[in-house]
Formats: sequence, structure tokens, C-alpha cells
Amino acid sequence: MSEKLTTVISKFYDEYMASTPKKLKIIDAYLTYVLLTGVLQFVYCCLVGTFPFNSFLSGFISTVGSFVLAVCLRLQSNPQNKSEFTGISPERSFADFIFAHVVLHLVVINFIG
Amino acid sequence: MAKVLPFVGLLSLAVTVYGLIPSTYITGADKDRLKSVFQSAAPYADSQSAHFSILGLKLLGEAAPNAQDACKTLSKVVENKVASIYHASEAAKVLGSCKITVPEFKQTLTDAIKDDSSVQDIAFAFLALKNLGLLVDDAAVSKSLMAALKTDDSPASHGYAFLAAAQLKGDVSKFVDNIEDVVAQADEVDEKYLQFDGGLYVTALVVDGAYKLAEKNNKAPTIAQDKVLKFANYFLSRKHVHQLKSAYYFLCVVKSLTTNKFHIPIAVSLASPVAVTQADPAVKVRVTDLMGGSLGDLTVTADSARHLGDDAVVISKKQFTVAPSDKSLYELNFLQAKPAKGFYKLTINIAPKQANSKLLGTAGAEASVKVTTQVSVENVEVGVADKDQATAARTTRLVHPNKAASILEADYHQKIVMKFQLKDKAGGQLMTAHQTFVRLTNQDTKQEIIFVTESDSTLTNKFDLDVGANAKDFGHKSGKYTMELIVGDAVIENPFSWTVADVSLTFPEGAAVKKDQANQYAKKPEIQHKFNQPEKRPPASLSLAFTALVLSPFLILLVLWLRIGVNISNFPMSLSAIGFHVCLGGVFVLYYFYWIQLNMFQTLRYLGILAIPTFFFGNRLLSSIASKSAKKN
Repeated sequence: MSEKLTTVISKFYDEYMASTPKKLKIIDAYLTYVLLTGVLQFVYCCLVGTFPFNSFLSGFISTVGSFVLAVCLRLQSNPQNKSEFTGISPERSFADFIFAHVVLHLVVINFIG
Repeated sequence: MAKVLPFVGLLSLAVTVYGLIPSTYITGADKDRLKSVFQSAAPYADSQSAHFSILGLKLLGEAAPNAQDACKTLSKVVENKVASIYHASEAAKVLGSCKITVPEFKQTLTDAIKDDSSVQDIAFAFLALKNLGLLVDDAAVSKSLMAALKTDDSPASHGYAFLAAAQLKGDVSKFVDNIEDVVAQADEVDEKYLQFDGGLYVTALVVDGAYKLAEKNNKAPTIAQDKVLKFANYFLSRKHVHQLKSAYYFLCVVKSLTTNKFHIPIAVSLASPVAVTQADPAVKVRVTDLMGGSLGDLTVTADSARHLGDDAVVISKKQFTVAPSDKSLYELNFLQAKPAKGFYKLTINIAPKQANSKLLGTAGAEASVKVTTQVSVENVEVGVADKDQATAARTTRLVHPNKAASILEADYHQKIVMKFQLKDKAGGQLMTAHQTFVRLTNQDTKQEIIFVTESDSTLTNKFDLDVGANAKDFGHKSGKYTMELIVGDAVIENPFSWTVADVSLTFPEGAAVKKDQANQYAKKPEIQHKFNQPEKRPPASLSLAFTALVLSPFLILLVLWLRIGVNISNFPMSLSAIGFHVCLGGVFVLYYFYWIQLNMFQTLRYLGILAIPTFFFGNRLLSSIASKSAKKN
């Protein structure tokens, strides 16, 4: 059973490494980073407490927001989804991503206290 | 039955008249004041003030100062206007040899008499023409007045119409009929006064006009007697008038109410002090007309004198005697009937010796008096008793106004007791006073504490001071105190404050922590705002460790990117690429400063400035990349 699982995982990994464009891999790495940061913040909150509650909240919102935006970017950048997003070039979606980040972090900084 | 009705009507009238009889009149002082109002109008600025001033002085029986000068001023200030000519003509008439005729005046005045002029103008024009001795068409005036009254039927207009009608030749019955209607429009105040909207001037004008018209018509005006009295009350309540115009009309109407042939209200005023004492036992009333003039020989009777507390009637049908010095002054020895002390309402009836149906208010005039008395304090005992009543009180008898020979000493296990009775010196019976106090004054600090004494059913006043229980009131301040008895009342002639004794009080020690009286105004402690206490923070090392931990995924990111093989060397070294990254970095640096020190408005301003190059560079960079990748394809 476990052997089978490892073979599935390794096969999946190979497939991923071979067929996924480099751009998407970079975004996936970024997503992993954001996800880990958010998980660590949550762990801190569970262990120590929410004391500067607005600080915790703004940090956590920042990671969640970044993650969602990055997922959007990944969707729009994926060549497989090109039919869905006709007329939206990867550069255009990257510009949207940057703009959304600027707005998001203005709010986050406003809330951080 | 039909015969009884008028009688019932008369009876009800007599009842409503109760309490309406004017209780004041225009005294000498009032006349002086009115005189100064009239005199201060000179030098006359216009013919109206000349009219009111000169005629007002004449009504007071004073001559106008310097008739010649007045006449000169008059001809100077008169203008070619109806009202101005009217006022000037009235004044000139009184001054005597004073002619102010100007040829064009006649035209002005005659032109004013037409149907669509105001009532006031028609009346003034008519009266002016009369005064100047010019020809008038009385019938036309009467017709115009009636027409004008249809458009404006305010009381003031009717007042002017009455004044004019009083001088009209021919039939004036239509104006006479109006009197009743106009009077019905008056407002009643407190069931005692009647007045028209517009106040003293309008009310005086209407009533004066009505009586002048009635005089001409030779028939009493249809104003009910109680209404006349209410008007009279209203006028007298306004006798302190200071306005020239109102003062003149006021004086006119009061004069009318004293000299007309139909209704003369009587004024019954108290001429002696309200307090009737043994030394001055007479109640004096002055019975006059409204101007203070004598009404001839009268029989003045005190119908009753009723005690206001218990309704006891002490005087019934007792006749006043005429004072030898003054025929309008009537006296009655009130104390002959031995009335008890207190307040009395005196009801006074007046009957003229020769029947005179003109007089109004012959029954039911009221005057308030009070009978005062001397009081003595009797059976005074003062002493010190034990709190638990184990031993009988040691008391000393005292006689007013002597002070106790020895000092009373009391400590907090004892109490000070005092008993006394108040006696009416005249009647000899015991009584209570409205105010009976005991005042204790500390001889060192002059601090005072006042207690109320209470009287029991035997009219004995008792004062009981439990020294221990009242220690707080004394501020626990032991020492010598002066004890005074204070008695007073509205009907006591000789209120007194009697130093009864010196007392030495001893209070328990220890509890002497007391608030200083002066400290009540001292500075209070400053109010400190209390902020929310911050919650307990976790240890700094733990927070720092987690900060590092939270930042660590960034390393993972870098590692992953390196493994994926990010092509950094492909970075386009163009101006737009560098500018874009610098500006974007600038935005985040700005956010950092927003966190540290800036406020939202400053931040948004800077952000707006930064956004422009960022957008510009970003747009150029991305479009160049897009075109490059398009070329590749």
C-alpha cells in the first residue's frame, strides 16, 4: 500500500517537474512560502494568544490575501487556461497582481496599528 | 316669577362685583410722576408730543409752560399731514390765543374725509376741522366713518370713531350701538382686569371714546358695571406708565371715569399700615374716585371682618367714622371687637348720604389687615439631664430677658433640655409662633448650629439636645457655647433673640476627624484618566523566535526558486524596469513609514505621487516584455 503511495507521489512529482512551465513553478514556490508563513502565524496565535489582535489579524489577512492573489495569477498565467482568459496576457495579469497587492497592503498596514 | 328675575339678576351682579373694587387710586405721587412724563416731552419734536404733553398737563390741572413759546414751536413742527394737523389743532385750542391755520390745511383735511380713508384719518380730519373752526359736512363724515369701520373694525378704530362721533351733529345712534359690541371684544385677565389687544392705549381710547359719546347721547353706555370696574382695575394697574401717548390716554380715561354722568367707580384703599397694633388700633380707608377726589358725604360700613385662618367673623355691620382732617378718610377702631391675632379680610360697603346711582362698587370692597400682638415668654426652664433618665433633670427657672447665672455643663452622656411657653400679652392665652429656634454659638470659633423647637399639644415648646448624638453637627468641638432662643412670627410685634445661658459641652474624642468647612471650596484632587491595562505579553524570546520562524519560509522560497532555476540574469536593464522596481519598493517603504509615523491623508497624498511613475514604468516594462514574447512566438 505504502509502496504504491510512494510510487504515485514520485510519479506525480516527476510529471510535475517535467510538464509544468517554469513560470508556474515559481508561483507555486511563492504559494508554498506564503502558506507556510500563514500556518506559522496561526500556530503562534494558538500557542501564545492573540494579544495584539489587530497585528495578528493584519498579518494573517496579508498572507491569506497574498495566497488568493497568487492563485489568481497562477490561474491566469497557466497556458492550459488560455481559452478561459482570452485577451488577458500574462503581463496584464501580473500588473493586476501588483496593483491588488498595493491596495491590499495599504489596508493591512492601516490595520496593523 | 317674572318679578323675581330682575332681583336674581341684581343679586348675581352684586356677587360678581366682589373683589373687583379698585383698591388704589392716582395719588399725589402718581400725579407728579405723570407730570414729569408730560414735561419731559418738551421741547416738542412733533405736534403729537405737543398735543399729549400740553393736554396731559391741563388734565392734571397744570398750565403748559410758556404758552407763547409752545405756540411758536407748534407752528414750526406742524406738517401738512392729517394726523399732524389734528394734534397741532388740539394743542393750539388748549393754548388759547394760538393760530396755526395754513391755507392748504383745509384741502388736506377735507380730502381725507372719504370712504376709503382709514377710520383714524377721517376722525382726525373731522376733529381738526372742528378745532380750526372750518366748515364740515357732518353727514359725509358719518357716512365715511361707517364705511371705513366696515373694512377695519378693530377696537382702536372704533375708539377713534367714538371720539369723532361725540362731536358729530345729527344721529349717532349707529355708533352708540357699536359700544356694546366693541366692549364684548375685550379680554379678561385673572377675572379682575379687562383690556383690549394693543394694551393701555387702545383700551383707554375705546373706554374714553365710549363715555364721551354717551355723554353726547345723554344715555348711559351699555357697559356692564362689573366690566367698568374691571376696566378701572386695569387702568390703575398701569398707572406707572411712562410712554407719553399711553400716559395721555390713560389720564383722559381716568378723568372720564371720574367726571362722567353715568358710572363713577369708587376706589377703596387702605390708608393705614396693614398691621393693626395696640398702639395704632384704627383701620383707615380712603374712599375716593379714581383720581383721589372726594365723593361727598358717605356712610362707610365694615360689612364683615373675616379671619383668614378659621373664618371667624369678628366685625359685622360696623360703621366707620369720618376722619376730622380729611373728608375722604374713614376710620374704624378694629381692636374694639378684641379680634384674635392673625390676618383678616375686611369687606366694606359704601352708601352715599344722598342717593347717587352713578357710584359703582358700593358693596364688596375688600381690604386686608393683620392684627399683631406682643408676646411674652413664660415658664422657662433649662437644665441638664442624664440620657437614660435615671435621675431627674436639674433645671433652673429663668425670666426673660435675664441670662442663667451659672454655666450649664453637659457631656456626651447627657442632654440639655429646655421648656418654655409663649403667651399673647393682650389676651393672656398661650400661643405658638411660626419660628422658634435655639441657636448655639461656639464662643471661640463663632460656629453656629441652629435647632428648631417643637410645641406639644399643651402649647409648651420643648427643646431636647442629645449631646452625644449630635456630636457630629458640632464637629466634635468641645467648649463653651452661647445658647440663644429666637422667636418670631408675622403677627408678633416684638420678635426677640434672648441669650438664655452659656453651656459647656464635652464631646467624645477620637472621632474628631471632620471636614473643614473652608475645605468645601478647596482644590479637589485631579481626576486621572485610567487607560485599559495592557494584557500580559508573552516573553520576548518566544516572540522573537516566532518572528524568525515566520520569516524562515522566505529562505525556503529562495531555495525553491534556485532549484527551479530562476533566470535573474534575464533581468532587463532598461530604465523602465529599474524605475518600476524602485517605485514599487518606494510604495512599500511608504507603507512602512505609514506604519511608523504618517497618517492616512499624508500617506494617500504620497501614494498618489508615487503611483504615477510606477504606473508609467510598469506599463512600459510589461508592454515591452509582452511584445518581446510575441516576437518569440
